[in-house]
Amino acid sequence: MKKGQQRIFQRYHPSVDRAADQVVIGEARTTEPLKGFFTPAREKVAELFNPEIPPSEHKPFAIVGVKACDLQGFLIQDEVFLKRGNRDPFYARAREENLIISSDCTLALETCFCLALGHDPHPKGNFDINLSEVAGGFIVEVGSPKGRELVDDHESLFQAVPHTLLEERKEIRERVIAEVQSRIDEHGVPHRDQYQGMINRNHESKLWQEEAGTCVECGACNFICPTCHCFVLSDQQTGSGTARFRLWDSCMVKDFARVAGGGNPRPQLWMRLRNRFEKKLDFFPRVTGLYACTGCGRCIPACPADIDIRRVLKALVHNA
Amino acid sequence: MLEARNPYSPIEAEVVDSIVETPMIKTLELRPREPIPFAAGQFVELTLPGVGEAPFTPSSRPWIEDRMFLTIMNVGKVTEAAHLLRKGDTVGLRGPLGVGYPIDSFKGREILVVGGGCGFAPLRSLMYSLLERAGDFGRLYFRGGCKSFDDLVYRKELDEWSARQDLDIRLTLDEGDESWTGHVGVVTTILDDVDLDCAQGIAILCGPPVMMKFSTEKLLKMGFRDQNIYISMERNMSCGVGKCGHCRLGLYYICTDGPVFTYEQIKSIPDVWH
Repeated sequence: MKKGQQRIFQRYHPSVDRAADQVVIGEARTTEPLKGFFTPAREKVAELFNPEIPPSEHKPFAIVGVKACDLQGFLIQDEVFLKRGNRDPFYARAREENLIISSDCTLALETCFCLALGHDPHPKGNFDINLSEVAGGFIVEVGSPKGRELVDDHESLFQAVPHTLLEERKEIRERVIAEVQSRIDEHGVPHRDQYQGMINRNHESKLWQEEAGTCVECGACNFICPTCHCFVLSDQQTGSGTARFRLWDSCMVKDFARVAGGGNPRPQLWMRLRNRFEKKLDFFPRVTGLYACTGCGRCIPACPADIDIRRVLKALVHNA
Repeated sequence: MLEARNPYSPIEAEVVDSIVETPMIKTLELRPREPIPFAAGQFVELTLPGVGEAPFTPSSRPWIEDRMFLTIMNVGKVTEAAHLLRKGDTVGLRGPLGVGYPIDSFKGREILVVGGGCGFAPLRSLMYSLLERAGDFGRLYFRGGCKSFDDLVYRKELDEWSARQDLDIRLTLDEGDESWTGHVGVVTTILDDVDLDCAQGIAILCGPPVMMKFSTEKLLKMGFRDQNIYISMERNMSCGVGKCGHCRLGLYYICTDGPVFTYEQIKSIPDVWH
């Protein structure tokens, strides 16, 4: 749904009027990331000494209009919560229960640079159903058994796609790709093919001190990022005893890696900024084969200190 | 479908005893409601209800499953509360977490164990395991360093170990006093008389980062190989299951890939001792 220049996810209500309430299926990514639906900012993960997994606090939901950059974010979150080590029962449950109806981007925001990370602005997978907006309706693509079942159950709603509409989709996709590419060109964002070795090469670079100079340690870049997954466990009193919650955490905050007794491997802000980029652009690709940046550009407007990941990428690649 | 146990929920445990080791260090004897079998070097998360959770490596005999001993220095919020625990109080334990020492792979090898200060805790558990089957290994050496006599933990065990014929043990204090007749100096100053085939030997280190840094340098000079030096790394492990991101070290999460690493694994990580 659109609110001013922002796009947000809003719970559907029968009274919603598609035109008056500015429901958008296409356009571009939402302001908020999708991850909040799968690893909420505050989630109860245990009641003390109860080995059971607390039941879900809401019914399964369907999310409509998810963009390709957020689907790419799933791949990172899946690595963390499903693939490496033990499966996280909460994330696994949310992934299994919920329905993802994605859609093609039909425009590029000023901050979009997904192509630089090797991703197109239209979904290629990791959705149940994808919608491509064309004249008079949508081209519907099925991406999972769950999506297949839903389409089969409502067969009367669908018809064969005429060739002209496929052509129209192709044209729209090409136009949006060209728009994203022009944003990338304007900002000189390097392509991921050039990222190899740049983090190690810049370990001692002055870049980190320069960029961290304006940082206020707010953590907005972490919370808005579709791939950031760090959390902290916090025990809190509830009506029925002590419950354990997991809360989103930020690696930019001073205490993130501090140990009891006061030792801190990253006492300086610039070390934490370096660590953030190191995790996304060195740790993740080396451990999982994926860069933990989707090119969604959310961290750019979110940062009150004007730290622009595109500028950092450019400096990292060009510093010999 | 039978779900696995909730990875974030601790097992209830009763405080059986709280043993004063030094003015700053206590050892808690805990009786968990379910047995928690572990290998020396693995860690647990200790929950103090209403206070929070913190990681500790048990200092007890791994094969005794109905008791777990945690040696705790009073340095923070959780540890301060842990020092106030009394017999009969309830705490929580999550674990065992991570990977411990690959003791079976040490068969037939000579072993040097080097401990510093609070690093004695995991090493006591390791020493129990090694001494229990001392015949499986070559000669065993223990070298321990502590700040002062007041900071020296496990005095009873150290006395017992000193009496053993199958263990060569020496201790040192950073600062001596009138009650101490032994060596004075940092732990690296009592390694020169270790008479083993370093190129084939196993070295195991646990202590504060600065002690491990200088001890590793010394061991390398003595001829120990990178892949035979075992180091216990410390970060603020929180979830313990490789998800929360707090304890990343280079390409590893300490909570799942460690806390025990070989020097070979970690030597190329920038600022590894920070």
